[in-house]
Amino acid sequence: MTSASLVLTVNGRPRPLEDVPSSERLLDTVRWRFGLKGTKEGCRSGDCGACTVLVDGVSTLSCLTLTHEVEGSSLTTIEGMADDPVGRAVQEAFDRAGALQCGYCTPGFVIALVGLLRERGQDAPVEELLADLGGNLCRCTGYVSIARAVSLLQKEAP
Amino acid sequence: MPPFVLVTPITVEAAIAELRTGAPGEVAVLAGGTDLMFDLDGAKAAPRRVVSLRRLPWRTADWNGPVLTVGSTLSLRSLERDPELAKQHPGFLQAIRAVGSVQLRHRATLGGNLGRAAPASDLIPILLALDAEVDLVGPSGSRSLPVDQFVLGARRTALASGELIRSVRFPEPRPSTYLWQRVRPANDISQIAVATAYSPSDGRWRLAVGGIPPRALRLPEAEAMLRSSSPADADVRSAADRAARHLVITTDRRASEEYRRHLVGTLLERAVRSTATASKGGR
Repeated sequence: MTSASLVLTVNGRPRPLEDVPSSERLLDTVRWRFGLKGTKEGCRSGDCGACTVLVDGVSTLSCLTLTHEVEGSSLTTIEGMADDPVGRAVQEAFDRAGALQCGYCTPGFVIALVGLLRERGQDAPVEELLADLGGNLCRCTGYVSIARAVSLLQKEAP
Repeated sequence: MPPFVLVTPITVEAAIAELRTGAPGEVAVLAGGTDLMFDLDGAKAAPRRVVSLRRLPWRTADWNGPVLTVGSTLSLRSLERDPELAKQHPGFLQAIRAVGSVQLRHRATLGGNLGRAAPASDLIPILLALDAEVDLVGPSGSRSLPVDQFVLGARRTALASGELIRSVRFPEPRPSTYLWQRVRPANDISQIAVATAYSPSDGRWRLAVGGIPPRALRLPEAEAMLRSSSPADADVRSAADRAARHLVITTDRRASEEYRRHLVGTLLERAVRSTATASKGGR
């Protein structure tokens, strides 16, 4: 098939799609079919992490993923983070640490960090979390305050 | 992206049959897609048919005695998180963590990395040092090849028409090390990478270097200069020097020839010492 229908669950709601070309990237599906513009297009080549979303809870570069390859999956974007306790905690930590300048990279950082905390547990060491955020670029180079947000979050972990 | 037909076979036989529906170059194999996506974008001759392997039962890592068998479509991140890997193949773990980012490794696969055979692959050097065997399945049955007979050049492999990589086998646990140099430490391509391993069963070293086009290489002359599990400093230095002097190295946009020679020597020396220390500690 060169195009077909499929279903994705997006931030908890089933979203059927029709006539999706085989070549469509998940990034474009999220932004243009679902209108969820919180997911950003940065490099479109897997280098910057701005397009990171969760696919079945696992952080994924939506620019390097064909939509049909994740059919039937549950997708979480930055817009779904308000309903997620870990997502809320991460966003509050970014807020308190002032961990954003222009904000373009922020959704990708938040999603990547939520994915790591789910995968590694809330007690993962800060240095390891920071190393594992190496796939996210901040073009304002505001890394110090992003690192501070991660430390804040881990200090307050139960 | 130019249009293509995407098929998702649910059996190995069906996948092999799909591969034979077009000339090479017209049909592409999709594993994680983190590298293939650049071809699909259509700058070069874009494939008209893409065969996804995601429904094949190859997302496994099996530990059977000393032998580790990694299914070709297991995500690199799953392998990285297997607690046995750090104990049995520490250098392989270092190499996996050198590939892209966490997000990328959630989709990228060992089979994809091998099959795509990028000249700067961060996995092929350590596979060489660990004597990994590539298990293939195709229209005329199954066969296995050592990695150095599988990767033939830049983006060139021994895969025959209709053949797929089913798994990669690692014959024994070995103290091993993978070291690299890059412009940016995270999520970048290595200018030079070295893999070293010591085999307790035959008492010999394996040294491999990557990051030099067209492909990663074993260094047999330098290997022969290391004669025990903890070689003398002078021998380590001589072996590293020999490799740095004799390799055919070119300048490209990632690094100059001169800098690469320097890196080969320095990284090899460090990696051999690190592996030797690990082998003294029981592993």
